[in-house]
Amino acid sequence: MPLDEDAVAAIYREHGPMLRRVVWRATSDANRVDDIVQEVILRVWKQAPDTDNLRAYLITTARHLIVDQHRAAGRRPQQAQLVEVAERDSALDRALDQVLVEEALGRLQPNHKEIVRCLYYERLSVAETAARLGVPEGTVKSRAYYAVRNLRAVLDEMGVTR
Amino acid sequence: MTTGSDDLHVLLGAYVLGGLSDDDHSAFSEHLRTCGRCQTDLGQVSGLPRLLGLAGPEGGPLMATGATGGDRPPGGEPVEEANVARLLDEVGRRRRRRRGWLAVVAAAAAVVLFAGGAWLGPRLAASSTPPLPATHVAAAAVSGSGVRVDIALVPRGWGTQLDIDCEDMPTQGELALWVVDRSGRAMTAASWRATAAGYSRVTGATALSPSEIRSLEVRTGTGKVLASART
Repeated sequence: MPLDEDAVAAIYREHGPMLRRVVWRATSDANRVDDIVQEVILRVWKQAPDTDNLRAYLITTARHLIVDQHRAAGRRPQQAQLVEVAERDSALDRALDQVLVEEALGRLQPNHKEIVRCLYYERLSVAETAARLGVPEGTVKSRAYYAVRNLRAVLDEMGVTR
Repeated sequence: MTTGSDDLHVLLGAYVLGGLSDDDHSAFSEHLRTCGRCQTDLGQVSGLPRLLGLAGPEGGPLMATGATGGDRPPGGEPVEEANVARLLDEVGRRRRRRRGWLAVVAAAAAVVLFAGGAWLGPRLAASSTPPLPATHVAAAAVSGSGVRVDIALVPRGWGTQLDIDCEDMPTQGELALWVVDRSGRAMTAASWRATAAGYSRVTGATALSPSEIRSLEVRTGTGKVLASART
């Protein structure tokens, strides 16, 4: 049976901000963000999915809705070229992955964000990172270890399994 | 800097992210050859660099150390209560509509005689109370009309009960359900006043049995047909 109103409101309050960010950045259409997010929550309400990973379920549902809407838009005669639809879908998938990765990074604790930024994005060495942060190299190594594991866990939770 | 072999597994993080010294890199590569646990762990996280590469510069806007999801419009702010209310309104609307479908989907004799427009309601697995067997009609909106009408025909000893579920209706004036029998004779089976929400669920009745009903029409008080269905 569908969920009750309180459960729906609770899901919306907890996951709404994340969903809005994801949808906003994947569609760049402020007018549709609230509608898509609402539709995602309504589907969850309707289907009351038996899942221990609601976040992944929500994101997957949002992805389907966005893709469907893009396809529907693509059926307009002046745009109806298969190649374009395929290209747009894959561009959309990339955009969604990007948003989800950024979202996952945002969920890391500050220590771990710092480590990922230094080692991966700034290409610093472990020694340089240790000097930058004023911590021993051993600390950088162990933080990197836990940062990687946590990031993997957050991405899994979001349904990004690649 | 040396690392004891017991601690080598911790190098996995910097091995994946980058930044290990040559010595550590060699030590971990060597260790990896014989350590099943690290091989498994690496298998789980080896895709991360590619994913990290998808993010915007510096990992994107949420990477600022103080950022707690404070993305700009329309983003990280908590959901507005107005939106929660809007959501719950929609839940209420669909829940009412669902009731109309429940009786139908769970009924042993349920038959969708006519699916009008593009509107197919949500399906539901089961109902706790055994409903009356009903035949189910989704009336097609006539062109220029966006109404959605769903009518369940419930056979009764005295004729047919007509459970009418409609939405996106006119918000003013009177509305009526007409039934047309096999000889073409039309009669009113229900009438009601339009609601501001454009939604109403009413029950009508006719002396005709379901098989004697040829078609159903929802009309305005002035006789304009909004939706019709053939049985």
